[in-house]
Amino acid sequence: MTLFRTLERRIAIVFVGLLVFVVLLMLLIVAHSGEAIILAESQRQLAAGARNFGSLIDRDQRQLELAASVLTGDFGFREAIATQDRATVHSVLRNHGSRIGARVMMVVSLDGQVMVDTQRLGKAARPFPFGDLLRAAQENGRSGGVALMDDAQLYQIVVVPIMAPVRIAWVVMGFPVEDAWALEFSRASGLDVSVITAGGGIQASSLAPGLRVALKGQQAAALDEQPRQLALEGRNYHAVALRFGPQARVVLLHSLEHSEAAFRELERILELIAGAGIALFVVGSFGLARRIAGPLNTLARAARRIEAGDYSEAVAVEAPDEIGQLAAGFESMRTGIAAREQKIVRLAYEDTLTGLPNRIRLTEYLDGLDPAAAAAVAVLGLDRFAPINDALGHPVGDRLLQQVGARLAGLLPPRGMLARLWGDEFAFVVEGVDEQWAHKFAASLLAALHEPIEVDGQRLDVSGSLGVAFRPADGRDMDVLLRRAELAMYSAKRRQSGYALAGEVGDGPPPEQLSLIGEMRRALERREFALHYQPKLALASGRVVGAEALLRWQHPERGMMPPTRFIPFAEQTGFIREITPWLLEEVAAQAAAWRRQGIAVVLSANLSARDLLNPDLVGLMRRLLATHDLPAAALCLEITESALMEDPALALSHLAELAAIGLKLSIDDYGAGQASLSYLKSLPVHELKIDQSFIGSLAASPKDAAIVRSTIALGHALGLSVVAEGIEGEADLAWLAAAGCDVGQGYFISRPMEAPAFADWISTRAAIPVV
Amino acid sequence: MADRAGHQTGRLTSRPLLAWILLAWACAAGAASLTASVRSPAGAPVADAAIVLEPTGRPAPAARGHATIEQRDREFIPYLTIVRKGTSIDFPNHDPVKHHVYSFSPAKVFEIKLYAGKSVNPVIFDKTGEVVLGCNIHDWMAAHVLVVDTPWFAKTGADGIARIDGVPPGAYRLRVWHPRQKAAAADRDVSLGAAARRVDYTLELTPRLIVPKPPLDAGGY
Repeated sequence: MTLFRTLERRIAIVFVGLLVFVVLLMLLIVAHSGEAIILAESQRQLAAGARNFGSLIDRDQRQLELAASVLTGDFGFREAIATQDRATVHSVLRNHGSRIGARVMMVVSLDGQVMVDTQRLGKAARPFPFGDLLRAAQENGRSGGVALMDDAQLYQIVVVPIMAPVRIAWVVMGFPVEDAWALEFSRASGLDVSVITAGGGIQASSLAPGLRVALKGQQAAALDEQPRQLALEGRNYHAVALRFGPQARVVLLHSLEHSEAAFRELERILELIAGAGIALFVVGSFGLARRIAGPLNTLARAARRIEAGDYSEAVAVEAPDEIGQLAAGFESMRTGIAAREQKIVRLAYEDTLTGLPNRIRLTEYLDGLDPAAAAAVAVLGLDRFAPINDALGHPVGDRLLQQVGARLAGLLPPRGMLARLWGDEFAFVVEGVDEQWAHKFAASLLAALHEPIEVDGQRLDVSGSLGVAFRPADGRDMDVLLRRAELAMYSAKRRQSGYALAGEVGDGPPPEQLSLIGEMRRALERREFALHYQPKLALASGRVVGAEALLRWQHPERGMMPPTRFIPFAEQTGFIREITPWLLEEVAAQAAAWRRQGIAVVLSANLSARDLLNPDLVGLMRRLLATHDLPAAALCLEITESALMEDPALALSHLAELAAIGLKLSIDDYGAGQASLSYLKSLPVHELKIDQSFIGSLAASPKDAAIVRSTIALGHALGLSVVAEGIEGEADLAWLAAAGCDVGQGYFISRPMEAPAFADWISTRAAIPVV
Repeated sequence: MADRAGHQTGRLTSRPLLAWILLAWACAAGAASLTASVRSPAGAPVADAAIVLEPTGRPAPAARGHATIEQRDREFIPYLTIVRKGTSIDFPNHDPVKHHVYSFSPAKVFEIKLYAGKSVNPVIFDKTGEVVLGCNIHDWMAAHVLVVDTPWFAKTGADGIARIDGVPPGAYRLRVWHPRQKAAAADRDVSLGAAARRVDYTLELTPRLIVPKPPLDAGGY
């Protein structure tokens, strides 16, 4: 209901409605009980009036009798009567009768004969027509009553004696009962008085003519001494009928209006008071409601402002009551929310450790720049931060990051932003710069990092790798640019080139790789992965001494996937951790199978940096050896130089454990990384595999030949077996054999083969010596 | 009240000669006496009843007399007076207030306007009949005068007995009358001899209308 939509109206309407309800109820009750009271009061008044009327009539009768007695006591009157002269008597009757208003006068002899009658002048004597009255007069000395006379007119009659001094005659006086009489009694009794004869005619009445007709029409005959209600001309009366002489009755009417009038007045006053009260209440309620709802509306507006994020305006409601308290609460809520939002914004956009903007803020910054304008995104990753963190503890690592952040902040160009992305990676976004700038910026940044950083009194050497991507050349939005810059950074880190530009590094893994994780997981389940084995040939003896297990993926849609297409990705995403155990299991099983067939070759498996650093690796190897009942020396684990360098210390400890088991260990791709000789010296490995990039150019590059020759010498000096891989020609093989290389591997010897093919190959090859 | 006047005969103060003649006549004839006893139906004696003997067939001897009806203590005394026709009656007023004696009775209509002491002239009652006397200023005052045409009459005393003496023997009509009798008793013809005669009457009376008399010194009547 729209009527109740606002609190103001609701309060007002409820209050006013309740009052109206109560007032109406009260008026109803008053009106209802008023009717009952009016009826009772009217009946009471009628009863009282009737009693009063009765006594009035009695007194009137006595007064008439008294007056008549006084009249008959008049000496002249008696004397005149005593003369017995009819004319005189008649005259004196008229004369004295008019003194007290008697219209009819008679002289009646003691024996009841009417001697003189003012109504029947000159007529003969006749018996007095109202014997009862006469008898009563004889009994009591005088009497009175009501009777119809010859003129059909009702009279109040008194019979009194003429004493001279004994009773000599009766004088009868008749007083007409007419309207004047009725009016007089009506005034005295407070009732309407009507006299109705037995014939139904109205002799006298105080009523207006119309009401007389109505009363006559009513069943007046049905009335008696019990009060009854009747309606005359639409007005309500209570009526009783009393006997009035033998031939007439008096009907007394009491108008309810008389009783009602006072009550109607009371009701009118009540209604006035109720109306005025309701009006006051309406005004008051709306006023109160407004005072309540007004501040609430203010609060509601304030709440909407706060909802819209506008915390600037204070909530100002000055009230000493609960609303004031609510407003105060609102106000403190507003300031609290404002403060918290600031904090949230800060948290959302700020890196709490360094106080620098975070990645989100940086993204927004880039998005806020003119899309058409050139910009650069540079990502810096610290080198070897993880070992520092592990060795010196996180607090030191954190302070190191703070110091690096502070140092980097000093290098921030005017139109750019520095943010910490995560871990040990920082990123710059700089507007309107080109590659030229990037080279200079990279140089100055790397130089700045070159200065040792002092944390808790320790001087720490810090270096980093930088990758730079440009907009629009390398992408448009932040995700792409960051990824390109990060790839460039990783590339620089791998190549230890200090920095790299995204355009030089390339696109990184093609988009198809993004779905590779799911596909690889499926490949494991569906056994789409397969191992191919490439023989390792002892150059001196021409015997096959081992084989390297190489992972192949027979992709159902893309066909044979080269390892370079998915292994780096598996290493990056960590999926390698799922592949390697499978691979090791396969290799161990294969080694055991071939051993049972009498093919005694050492099978090599490649481990990534993650695999090597996996603390479960040693346990896994032990389990495999035990399960397949293999001597540890039947398996060889190949680890790249770069994998060792991810965490040389941990790598060293794991290698030591593996070596302790008795597994053979091999340094793969030696020469491509930057392992120091002293580190190499400390490794518990048995084999050194020269990176194939050197082998492939043996013939063409004397330098490479020299490196290979010296590496072979170095390996032998360290007591290691030296393996050359990537042998693609007979000349190289011969050169290597001549150079003293222990083992050879490559297409020239054999391509990698599936296990059955390898077994076949080795059975045919076994006897063939090296050239 | 008139009754307290007691048993008395009519006061006839005639001339000594006439009295003597009458006495001689009576003695010569041998006088008779009549005693009448009047009682109410309940047997109570009725006072103030008039007993009258009228000779039948011969006129009664004429006589003039004089009587007095006093007003004392605002009452007529006596209540009943029986007189022969032609008797003059004085109405001496012994009260300190004036009286206005009147009669509207056909036998004698008169009026003695307000007076004190002795009235100017006596009133002569020259017609037989009943006369009711009243006082115009004292409604309760009432007295009765019975005017008869015979010398032989008496009224009963408190014992209801009246006695007429010295009546010459002969035939008489005996009448009894009382001012408040309800109905007249029938006349009786009696023949009186020398012996005393006794007659009994029963009369029913209307009660005497008692009009309260205010005390003289209270209210100034």
